[in-house]
Amino acid sequence: MKMSSIRRILAEIRDAIVQAAVSLVSHKLRAALTIGGIAIGICSVILIFMVEAGMSNSFARQLNTLGPNTLFVHKWKWGVNGNDWWKYKNRPVVDMLDYRALQQNTTLPIAIAPIVATDATVSYGSKDVKGVDVRGTVDGYLDATGWQIRRGRFITALDQELGANVCILGADLEDAFFKGQEPLGQTVRAGPNLRCQIVGLFARKGVAFGRTQDLRVVVPLSSWIRVFGAKRGLSIAVVAPEGKVKETEDEVTAVMRNTRHLRPDQEDNFSVNRQDKLLEGFNQMMMATNVTGILVGIITAIVAGIGIMNILLVSVKERTREIGIRRALGARRSTILWQFLCEAIMVAVVGGFFGVALGAGGASIIDLISPLPASVDPRVVIGGVIGSAILGAGFGLWPALTAALLQPIEALRYE
Amino acid sequence: MALIELDHIQKTYDLGLSKVPALRDIHVSLERGEFVAIVGQSGSGKSTLMNIIGCLDVPTQGRYRLSGRDVSTLSDDELADVRNLEIGFVFQSFQLLPRATALENVELPLIYRGLAKRERRQRAIEAMQLVGLEDRMKHKPPELSGGQRQRVAIARALVTQPSLLLADEPTGNLDSKTGEEIVRLFLELHARGNTIVLVTHEPRLAARCPRAVRLVDGLVIADGPGREVAMANAEALGADALAQFHAAQKAAEARP
Repeated sequence: MKMSSIRRILAEIRDAIVQAAVSLVSHKLRAALTIGGIAIGICSVILIFMVEAGMSNSFARQLNTLGPNTLFVHKWKWGVNGNDWWKYKNRPVVDMLDYRALQQNTTLPIAIAPIVATDATVSYGSKDVKGVDVRGTVDGYLDATGWQIRRGRFITALDQELGANVCILGADLEDAFFKGQEPLGQTVRAGPNLRCQIVGLFARKGVAFGRTQDLRVVVPLSSWIRVFGAKRGLSIAVVAPEGKVKETEDEVTAVMRNTRHLRPDQEDNFSVNRQDKLLEGFNQMMMATNVTGILVGIITAIVAGIGIMNILLVSVKERTREIGIRRALGARRSTILWQFLCEAIMVAVVGGFFGVALGAGGASIIDLISPLPASVDPRVVIGGVIGSAILGAGFGLWPALTAALLQPIEALRYE
Repeated sequence: MALIELDHIQKTYDLGLSKVPALRDIHVSLERGEFVAIVGQSGSGKSTLMNIIGCLDVPTQGRYRLSGRDVSTLSDDELADVRNLEIGFVFQSFQLLPRATALENVELPLIYRGLAKRERRQRAIEAMQLVGLEDRMKHKPPELSGGQRQRVAIARALVTQPSLLLADEPTGNLDSKTGEEIVRLFLELHARGNTIVLVTHEPRLAARCPRAVRLVDGLVIADGPGREVAMANAEALGADALAQFHAAQKAAEARP
């Protein structure tokens, strides 16, 4: 390319940018309205995707609290929807026999712990705390779940054997009952009539799935069953060694089928749940959110695009004479085309910029006031701005083409 | 070689139901350095002819050669380049960009030529000096008088050093005193060697051009010294125009 053509293109681009800026500044209200529309659109799309990303992150983090290698043997299958309900309803509950069979006959698991849980009121003295997660389990629980004892001790095999009235308290209950007082050795009441002595305190665990994990009392399984009954059955946590989740699952399934004397043609009457199954359900939900986000994005883009098209059509009408003058002085069609595309892109990019700024601001507010961690992905910022530039070019193309295709004489005569 | 060769040019406007001939058969040529007026009443086809000479429009039939190059068959982009390189336009209604300064207006055609910024500025300043507006360069058109605006337009037309200066009723929107200044500027430019084609319906303007071409209904009916053609034109227009013509002649002769 010749030097002069490069210089010409550069000079034309510079001129187009200046003209576009002048055009926008001289119609502040009109430009501001369109820019505002684009900004709100881009902002809402960014917020949807940010919240979604936040949910995804937080879910992944929460899944990790379950332990990535932990299997849960249970009557129910996780993520079952209404249609299959009856199939699972009539299954026998998972009980202590299943637990013992797993303990004796499996080789792979690192830890096995049966868990039962219910929500109950826990009281100490005159203080009541409702909705406490009261769990019964055995000594393998810490290994199976990764929970830690801050002070005192956990349930022992002996506690389980005796059905001892001992318990380990979660951090939230400790705060509620024992401000500046020694909790160990005190007695709390869980549910209607389970009085038990505090022998240990859990380290704080934090929030998972939007719920605190520290509002919790753990008692020996035998004591729990004595008070709350065995009707609901157990959930058995099985921790697989790293990289052998599938093998462990197969082994657990085989042992369970064997204990329950299932013939080869019979279906499993229990479920071995894995957290990646939860993830599947979650991913399906996220897909729905994604589709919503994309739909909102498309609608927003169309609305914003119509705004851009409108502003540009008016601009072309207003500057028809100018188009004629430029054409008479030697501007090619492409020059005029670029001039108006430049204006469209400028409106869109300014709108996109404000949208991204609003979106980022909104995300930090969401981050502050809601439990969802919303974060600003730099790719979203760049994508928002580039996306709006493409939007501007796309919707500006038609008005710009009408400008470029004007006959110079007609344009010069235009009043 | 003639600068402009119009070889049996015809232009017909297709209005769908009827075809309107604007130019029937124009056969004119023009040498470098000439100052020619094209006169005729409105509807005579002089604007159409000007558009064709200015490469803003192409003839329906016939051949138009500008500097020996046949421009009747050029593409739109090529016509734009020819306009930029060969022709300087001066319009009746000035046609300046209202939001740009006088200097920026004058620089505009040089942008399409791909000149470096500094050279554009330099040339624009020289053109402004040539039309005597070096103290109005930072003014925007709305801040200038009609005569000053037309000078800016002339500077813009000259800045590219075109082969041809094409003026369409350049004094039409000006009072007679300012109009006279502009006419003198054209005569001066002609004296400096510029080729000028001036489209006008004012016989007194045509009378001062060395050569005039008179159009009636899309045909050249007179081509000769400006004074004669203009007088014939004025006669055709009626007594009123003739009286006006003689008055203008006297006024022009009275001036040194």
